[in-house]
Amino acid sequence: MRFFRLIILIVLQVLVFNHIHLFGYITPLVIGYMVVCFHRNTSRTAILVWGFVTGLLFDIFSNTAGMAAAACTLVAMIQPYWLNMLAPRDSAEDLTPSFATLGFWNYIFYVILLMFVLHGCFYLLDAFTLSDWRLTLLSIVGGFLLTTLIIVLIELLIRAQKNTTPHL
Amino acid sequence: MRALIDLIVQNKHWFVFLLLEVTSLVFLFSYNGYQRSVYFTTANDVVGSTYNVISGITSYLHLQEANYELEATNEELRKEVYEMRQQLEAIQQDSMKRLPALPLKYDVVPAQIVNMTLHKSSNFITINKGEADGIRPEMGVICSRGVVGIVYMTSRHYSIVMPLLNVNSKISCRLRGSDYFGSLVWQRGYADIAYVTSVPRHAPVKEKTIVETNGYSDIFPPGLPIGVVQRVGDSPDGMSYFLRVKLFTNFSTLREVSVITNYHSPERRMLEEMAQDPARQDSVLNSQEKQKELEDKKRKDAEEKEEKEQLELERIKQQLEREHSSSIAVPLNENKVSTDTVR
Repeated sequence: MRFFRLIILIVLQVLVFNHIHLFGYITPLVIGYMVVCFHRNTSRTAILVWGFVTGLLFDIFSNTAGMAAAACTLVAMIQPYWLNMLAPRDSAEDLTPSFATLGFWNYIFYVILLMFVLHGCFYLLDAFTLSDWRLTLLSIVGGFLLTTLIIVLIELLIRAQKNTTPHL
Repeated sequence: MRALIDLIVQNKHWFVFLLLEVTSLVFLFSYNGYQRSVYFTTANDVVGSTYNVISGITSYLHLQEANYELEATNEELRKEVYEMRQQLEAIQQDSMKRLPALPLKYDVVPAQIVNMTLHKSSNFITINKGEADGIRPEMGVICSRGVVGIVYMTSRHYSIVMPLLNVNSKISCRLRGSDYFGSLVWQRGYADIAYVTSVPRHAPVKEKTIVETNGYSDIFPPGLPIGVVQRVGDSPDGMSYFLRVKLFTNFSTLREVSVITNYHSPERRMLEEMAQDPARQDSVLNSQEKQKELEDKKRKDAEEKEEKEQLELERIKQQLEREHSSSIAVPLNENKVSTDTVR
């Protein structure tokens, strides 16, 4: 299941989202959705490894050697803590983050922070070569907002397919 | 020790995290060597072939754009080919490579046609080379395919050519493969048909025989192709053949011509003229001094004649250009000057 999700995300990222350059600079890193989806009591090591592999695959296809791998690993590191903080007190141990389990705004909040960390890390590593900080800032802010929007849309789409209306 | 192991096991994700981050950063900062990075970039085989398949699919999306670009390139290349071909033709004309059967005993001056009529009874061609380029009246004009005509009059930088397509044109010619000769004349009408008269009736004439110059006049060297016999007919008086000839030269698309400059032999012409004049004949026979005088006189005459011809040329040029003011590529400056002088 995770494997297929990984393949689909990589294919989508490489074929579609890597070709989006909104305003010339904003490219969404939808691979972040891979890390977003892990449920609560997943082994932290497993999340880290999956995140690293996702980032590394992206790097190989995008010639960005190590940048996305580092960023995804960082996101995979903070994901369990962040999910614990946002999860309701009386929720299940293996809570899967979604609109239904976290609530609409909480879920968006959850995704926004992870994506901010992902894009921040990725574009700051990128900025070692790029010296224009305004460009980096635009890439980070635009990127994480756009990616959040895309992930929310994906989530809504999947839930609609499963005929479970999200709690708004 | 036990406590340390417990600590490591409990917090193993931290160590994994550090390990993976360090690995990533090692990738990132050792990315400068091509040898090390090739397996982790799009340069490796798997990724490369994946992109190959992808581009095979997505290339269809850009077909329209690609087509436009191709068309633009095509247009450019077509233009280039046209220019090159023109240059090539000019060069080939220079060296007469198109007529390999002919001995290269004469020099040619390449020229471009600047004005031409086709559908009158007295057609003339104006070319952009004149006396300054060594062109004199009664020089032969040819093109890559065959005979065009004879220089009629010259100015400093332009010449008027009487083409085959002029009712006053008469060029002596022969049938290839036999020594029977006739004269090529033209009748008003078709721009690609001329007629050969005064070929004796006993000459073996067949259709598709090539008509060529015979070299009797000192205008054209012998053997230059003129046309091919299309139909064999009888002249009105029944004494000779009247051959309908399809001309090789395509006058309607003619642009580049060459003028034969050094085949012309003044000595021969002088001799022939003297032979026709009994008084001169006497003088030639009587004394060499007289001959010299006569030669001087003749030169003077020639100069006078040339001046006269120049005036005549100016006059005819004006007339022609007035008549063909709608025709292409009239040398505008001259036209203006000449009309000014008329006023």
